[in-house]
Amino acid sequence: MLRKGLLGALALIVTLMFGTQAMAGGVIKIGVQAPITGKFASEGQSIDKAVRLIVKQYNEKGGILGKKIKVYTCDDEGQAQKAAVCARQLVDDGVIAVIGSYTSTCAEAAEPIYYRAGVLQTSDGTSDTLVKHGYWTFFRNSSPNSAEAAFTAEFFIKKQHYKRIAAISDYSTFSTDLTNAVVKDIKKLGGNIVYKGKITSGAQNFTPILTKIKSFNPDVIYFGGYYTDGGLIRAQMEQLGIKADFVGGDSNDNPEFIKLAGKAAVGAYLINVPLPQMLPYDTAKKFLKAYKAAYNEMPASIWTLFNVDGLRAILYSIEQTKSTNTKKIAYYMHNKLKNFPGITGPVEWNKNGERVGSAYMAYRIGNDLKYHIVYRH
Amino acid sequence: MDIFLQQLVNGLTIGSIYALVALGYTMVYGVLKLINFAHGDLVALSAYIGLVIMMQLIGVVSSKAVIIVAVFIFTAIIISIFGVLLERMAYRPLRKAPRLSAVVSALGASLLIENGIMLIWGPMPKIFPASIVPNINWNVGGVYISLMQLLVLVISLILMIVLYFFVNQTKLGAAMRASAIDQDAARLMGINVDKIIMTTFIIGSSLGSVGGLFIGMYYRGIYFNMGWIYGLNAFVAAIIGGIGNIPGAMLGGMLLGVFNAFISGYLSSSWALALTYVLLIVIMIFRPTGILGERVAEKV
Repeated sequence: MLRKGLLGALALIVTLMFGTQAMAGGVIKIGVQAPITGKFASEGQSIDKAVRLIVKQYNEKGGILGKKIKVYTCDDEGQAQKAAVCARQLVDDGVIAVIGSYTSTCAEAAEPIYYRAGVLQTSDGTSDTLVKHGYWTFFRNSSPNSAEAAFTAEFFIKKQHYKRIAAISDYSTFSTDLTNAVVKDIKKLGGNIVYKGKITSGAQNFTPILTKIKSFNPDVIYFGGYYTDGGLIRAQMEQLGIKADFVGGDSNDNPEFIKLAGKAAVGAYLINVPLPQMLPYDTAKKFLKAYKAAYNEMPASIWTLFNVDGLRAILYSIEQTKSTNTKKIAYYMHNKLKNFPGITGPVEWNKNGERVGSAYMAYRIGNDLKYHIVYRH
Repeated sequence: MDIFLQQLVNGLTIGSIYALVALGYTMVYGVLKLINFAHGDLVALSAYIGLVIMMQLIGVVSSKAVIIVAVFIFTAIIISIFGVLLERMAYRPLRKAPRLSAVVSALGASLLIENGIMLIWGPMPKIFPASIVPNINWNVGGVYISLMQLLVLVISLILMIVLYFFVNQTKLGAAMRASAIDQDAARLMGINVDKIIMTTFIIGSSLGSVGGLFIGMYYRGIYFNMGWIYGLNAFVAAIIGGIGNIPGAMLGGMLLGVFNAFISGYLSSSWALALTYVLLIVIMIFRPTGILGERVAEKV
């Protein structure tokens, strides 16, 4: 009896030291924690479908390390409490890696549970705090919020060489934070901010502030708010004869922006992560084709593809390490995995599990009123 | 100087829209002593109805001028009907009730219209088609003015002049002024006060519908809850000018638009809204009945 207890304790210690092994022999278990129902259902279902598609592709080729892959899905409904329940359930199911969740809140609620169980987790959550806990199990597969500001600043200074920059935000936390971060990063790169101001979202008449900005003679106006205001700002810039460029943050990326701005939309720049169909990589085109063939629809958004990249990188790392030991896989992903050809661009991680490089792109709206990529990493 | 003149043009454009809407508040207040809180939402509704009519006509009628004139006329008629219905259902049954009941009824009607718009057309903004008014822009010595702005200014001005002469020179206008001063005395003089009130609502709603269509055609994006913002600004304009006073509403609207533009332009756009209310308070302290408000004080 005592011996059995000792043995159990020893096994536990070994497990804790070396991470969870997939003891199940024949299969490698992968979890999906996603909002299958609720407000984000379309995103969650799309992630689940994409994961199952990739796994099917692998299994048809004979799986990895001679084992078949099995997918376990848990619906967290986009709620933190459900996320914690899901995390425990998936750990009990014996998965070695989890894709999810879609929202930062749910990913963060599940993070410590996966960490304690030694289960790898890859999420598209953009909140900056996700990588600040120092969990070796966590890998962000998208770009964090702060990456947009850094990318925008680079685009302004290194690509466009703007000399006189004006920046506008509205009063929302999102818009103020983004615009402040952009201004800070521009200054860091030695850029010259000539004007910084705020508008009331929904006020519709922005001619007074734009007339004022005109007197500063800027060569670009950055707007970090929403398309409903951004489209009007762009239209009123033209009406006032302001020749400066317009660059809009990610929330200006909406078809309505072009409708609101009308012909003035031509020549405007928008900065955002790309739409799935805009990805220039061959792997992306191949994946989208397979997804369309399997489900007769397109993935819900770019976030599905970020998660797919997380999954592909993990499966690739399992193959490379020839191991299902999560510690070994995590070490490989942190240190050895470089420039993995992802669907959303090259994939690699730093020591914190932050994805290196950003998927942000700058688009110019052309005469055809379509997006044209002008700058990316 | 360019900047000063440009801000003046900016301010007068939005100011004339405020003035058109403010007239609706001030005329109803004049005859009923009631703040018609649903007026701003009628303005929003007119933009939506105008858009529906415009989309029906585009493709059927080729001339843009005909489309625009038809949209203005049909929308004004439909919104007038709504205005009269509003008076019949929300205000007339409460005419003898305490003042507060009518105010609550007005707020209720406002919410009803606003949420009705949301249920029918949805919470996302609707967008007017581009270049229904040709996108022509003039540069007059560094001051930019577009055809649409010119239309807003000229049409508003014409409507206000017509209204001024209607109220002051015609028999119906005289009856309206008489009803505003004393309803019972007016009735004794043989004036059908109910008919006068109805006329007031028709004129106020029509002017508001022109304002709503200007918002739609000039800014192009319309929202189900925009009646609140425009209504509030127009209401402030009516008070600044002296509520119940028709030239006062026109002056108040223009003044508010120009004041807002200059504050945004010379001080800070962040302060524009706050300082608008400071202006309101200052005017209320020195002229409690508004800038042109003496006549209101006299008639009490």
